[in-house]
Amino acid sequence: MKFNTLLKKLMNKNESKDIAKKRLKFALLTDKLEIKADTLADLQRDLVEVISRYFEIDRDSIQIDIKRSEESSALIFNTPIISAISARSGREIPAA
Amino acid sequence: MDGKVIVVTSGKGGVGKTTITASIGAALAVQGKRVAIVDMDIGLRNLDVVMGLENRIVFNIVDIIQGKCKIKQAAIKDRRIDNLFLIPASQSDDKDVIKPENMVWLTNKLRKEFDITLLDCPAGIEQGFKNSIAAADEALVVCTPEVSAVRDADRIIGLLYAQSITPKLIVNRIVPKMVENGDMLSHEDVVDVLSIDLIGLIEMDEKVVVATNTGTPLILQEDSKAGMALQRIAMRLDGHPDLPVENPMIQKSFWKKLGSKFSRKN
Ligand SMILES: Nc1ncnc2c1ncn2[C@@H]1O[C@H](COP(=O)(O)OP(=O)(O)OP(=O)(O)O)[C@@H](O)[C@H]1O
Ligand SMILES: [Mg+2]
Repeated sequence: MKFNTLLKKLMNKNESKDIAKKRLKFALLTDKLEIKADTLADLQRDLVEVISRYFEIDRDSIQIDIKRSEESSALIFNTPIISAISARSGREIPAA
Repeated sequence: MDGKVIVVTSGKGGVGKTTITASIGAALAVQGKRVAIVDMDIGLRNLDVVMGLENRIVFNIVDIIQGKCKIKQAAIKDRRIDNLFLIPASQSDDKDVIKPENMVWLTNKLRKEFDITLLDCPAGIEQGFKNSIAAADEALVVCTPEVSAVRDADRIIGLLYAQSITPKLIVNRIVPKMVENGDMLSHEDVVDVLSIDLIGLIEMDEKVVVATNTGTPLILQEDSKAGMALQRIAMRLDGHPDLPVENPMIQKSFWKKLGSKFSRKN
């Protein structure tokens, strides 16, 4: 290691390449989480289909989204439940 | 035996694909291979001037594909280096005149005539890129030590894997002094982020500009560090896969260390 590099490290000065690497890693991570709008629409359709087997839901008030923060990313799916289908129809819900 | 087809690609523009393709092609030909270099940048050709063959274009790749000429008529033979041929791009056509299946057809013909066919891919991930990777057996991904170039390289690598091609990485335009000062990503950083195999490190070299000015092969320029790095990449592609990749920085600090040792004695 060169003397002034060592000095920089000792003085705890951030090397610009460290910042570059951090930004790069974050960009690659979020790039890979990015999905096409129609993929999200397809997912919503499939989820509604599965959930509708168990619950009566209001299809129009469903929200699906990917929330990103600096630390992590989350898939958020939000739907009000109108009623459980088993309770109404007496159909059995398979045990998980 | 059929020859192989190698695409040189990057995603980001201006990182050195054309320079690298021309030099590796020249080096492989000097090593005794029969080499075709194909300019895949329809509408924006460049390889001809970098190779100094711009005055000799009669037919181009689109003419071959449209059946207007034979491959032999379009391939320009380099007069300085034996067994080196350029198939130029068309300057007037639209990008979409060539389809991936046309490229598969063309490269299958080239495989019969040449040991190695190099495809100089245009920047981006559009038609020219799709055409190039549809026809390739192997890929060299070029990036510079910059956030944007590495990010684009990552995207390209993903698209190549989807085509069952495992690419190798070339890091170009390295400035050893900046790497030493911590002001440029080192090749270790780049490899760490992209996690693919490295096949070469090329430093920033003024000789590249000189060679391009005159249209002479970089590998024939005397003591060009970039030229030497490119010759070594060509050797790795052709029978010497284990030839160690030299770090431009180590070389320099070695001489510095030697220099400082001598100065201490005196
Ligand atoms: N190692 C190097 N040292 C100095 N200059 C370089 C080096 N590599 C490339 N260059 C210069 O960088 C510029 C871009 O190079 P080149 O045309 O090969 O890139 P490219 O990736 O083919 O660009 P495009 O995406 O436009 O096709 C040129 O001016 C070239 O001379
Ligand atoms: Mg180019």
